[in-house]
Order: sequence, then structure tokens, then C-alpha cells
Amino acid sequence: MAEHNSNKQNDQEYLSAMPNQEFDQAVTTMQNNIQTEIAASSALVGRKEEISRLKAEYSDDDSPYQQKIKELCKLYSHVRKTRGDGNCFFRAFGFGYLEVMLHNKKDYSKFQENANGTFKKLMSLNYPAFTVEDFFENFMSLVNSIGEKTTLEELTQSFVDEGLSNYFVVYLRLIASCQLQIDADFYQNFIDSGKSVVEFCKTEVEPMYQESDHIHIIALTSALGASVRVAYMDRGGEQLIFHDFPEDCEPTLHLLYKPGHYDILYPR
Amino acid sequence: MSTPARRRLMRDFKKIQDDPPTGVSGAPTDHNIMVWNALIFGPENTPFEDGTFKLKIEFTEEYPNKPPSVKFVSTMFHPNVYADGGICLDILQNRWSPTYDVSSILTSIQSLLDEPNPNSPANNQAAQLYTDNRREYERKVAKVVEKSWNLEC
Repeated sequence: MAEHNSNKQNDQEYLSAMPNQEFDQAVTTMQNNIQTEIAASSALVGRKEEISRLKAEYSDDDSPYQQKIKELCKLYSHVRKTRGDGNCFFRAFGFGYLEVMLHNKKDYSKFQENANGTFKKLMSLNYPAFTVEDFFENFMSLVNSIGEKTTLEELTQSFVDEGLSNYFVVYLRLIASCQLQIDADFYQNFIDSGKSVVEFCKTEVEPMYQESDHIHIIALTSALGASVRVAYMDRGGEQLIFHDFPEDCEPTLHLLYKPGHYDILYPR
Repeated sequence: MSTPARRRLMRDFKKIQDDPPTGVSGAPTDHNIMVWNALIFGPENTPFEDGTFKLKIEFTEEYPNKPPSVKFVSTMFHPNVYADGGICLDILQNRWSPTYDVSSILTSIQSLLDEPNPNSPANNQAAQLYTDNRREYERKVAKVVEKSWNLEC
């Protein structure tokens, strides 16, 4: 970590001495290097692991975390990690939800119907049909495959293949963006950066690798009629905090949030 | 080998042929779908009118999740174009969306020609003349328009 910080400082000195264009290129190169490093060390969607393995990620005397992991272990049996590339919420949601749907036929038809309706909504906002339909068709063929007895292995294959997997993430981002814009009056209250909803969508929802916040989760779950519980594990407070999206739902999918990152949880 | 990027570029190519946008054109180079040559005609009633500007677009396997690199090959004099032809345009950087395609990229660059953003200059002289001395700015632009007819550069 210390080494990383000092590199960062050197990077900053190096960057501040440069003309604009070289600066932009250097930033892009650095971001790409970081992404390549992360990509080399973790799969887009990992294997299902015993929840107790989380203990080893924190030192034994890190009591706030160890306490919360104990609590997690009582409620959940497994965890599945996703790559920390800024797309983790969307990827965890996409994979996790469809994995549950493999065995949950009741929720599946509702999900499929909602997913099918999203293209029309995007068209009503004047999105370009030519490119959006490419993402939509790929996404729907994945969703439809769940109804046609695809296996967990095939689903996993689709999500670890970078090209395909990112196509799904793009479309999920578009779904969230569309919902935010359709209900702009409501969502505007939650954007504290002074951006308009459209500006927020263009800079923080649609571009790949942009991290997600509550507002992304609320928009995506409400667009798809999905229900998600997020367990928040950070250094603050004594206990885990849970949020259900929407409130008072019976959650279909459970996610674990550690500052800046989402993984998938499996209830006992 | 077919990858999502290559498949999508074939789609982009088909669209630009079937439904060509006004004033721009583009096509993959002979042996490589990942590198395109493009032309932008200077919009009418602007200092760039009658210019035929060549560009080179280079895609990576991460297209359309990441934007391609786009550069003017023809000499350009514009507040948001760097000396090496690189373009400072938000949709090619932080406002990139995977819903953009080659047609929309070229159309956006064409609009940028007459709607420069002097606040984020890539060419300080052009930005300054654009703001302070429009006549001199247009004279310099007229030179690159003339130069663009020469197919060698």
C-alpha cells in the first residue's frame, strides 16, 4: 500500500509537468494499466466460495470486520466475487439475478417481461435504435436462455467472456439510465452534485467502469421489478447494515457491499 | 476471428453504407477492420466549407465499451484539435457511450468544426484567434481547407 501511494505521488508530479494532450494520454494509460492489473488478478465473475473464507481477508485483531463477518456467516453460506472494475454492481446483479432465476420460474416470467419492455422505453427517449438494439438483443438472448434450461455453467461462461459480459453490463446501465430519465423529477432529489439527471446519466451511469451508488440500484431494480438486499460491511458501527431495494421486499438476490465493491451472497 | 468488437464494426460499416450520414464517410482499411479511414466535408456556410478532411480511426477489442482513437490526418486548424491531429471532444473521452457508432462519432466531429469549445483548447493559437480575431482565424482555416484538397496530405 505504501509503495502504491508513493507511486501515486510520483505519478502526480509527472503528470503536472505535462502539456494537456500528453496529460490526457498519460491518465488514460495509467487507468488502463490499473485495469489490466485488476483483470489479471480476478475473474469477471468468480467461483462460489465458503463465506468463512472472508475471515482471512482481514487481520484477526480487526474486530469491526471480524465481528461483521461472523454475523454474515450466520446468515449466508457462500459468496461469489466479481471483478472490481467499476462495473461490479451491474455484473453482480446480472449474474446473481439470473442465477437465482435458473430455479425460480415465478419471478422469471415477470423479469423477462420487464426486460422485454425496456427497449421500447429507451426508444421513447430517442436513443439510437441501431446500436441499442444490438445490446438489447444480446441481453434478451441471455435472459431467454434462462427460460430454455440453460445451465449454471453456460451462464457462467457468458459472464466470464469479457466481450459478452460487458455487453450485458452496457445494457443494464442503459436500463438504469432510462429509468432515471423517465422518473427524472423523483431522482433529481438524489443527485447532489448539481448535475441534471440527463448529465448524471451521461457521465455516471452509461459510461462503463463508473461505480454505482444507491441511485443506480434503485433505478435498475425498479425498472426490472427486481428485489435486492444489500448487506453493508464497513468499519463504521458495530453491526452489519441491510438495505432492501425496494423497501419491504422479499429479496430475490443478496449482495455484499464493502466500500467501493459489490459481491454476490448466498443465504443459508 | 469474430469478437464483439469486430462484429459491431461490421454492423457500423453496413449502416454507414446503407444509411450514409450527410457530409461524412468512412470505411475499414483493406486488411484490418480495426482501422478505418474517414472523410469529413466542411459544413456549408462555415469557414470549413469545401474542405475534405481525412481522418484515421483506430479501434481496440474493447470497442464499443471504450471509444476509438480518432485523429485528423489532414492538417487542421481548430481550437480543439492538437498539432498531431488528436481531437479534444468530450464524447471521445469522459462522455463516451457504447450507444455511439462510427456515424455518430463522425457527425459529432463535423459539428465540432463550427462549434468549437475555446474553453478547453488543444490549439491555443486557434482558440485565441477564434475569440479575439475571427477574421484572422478564418484566414487560417481557409488555408487548411485549401490544403485538404491535396490528396497527398
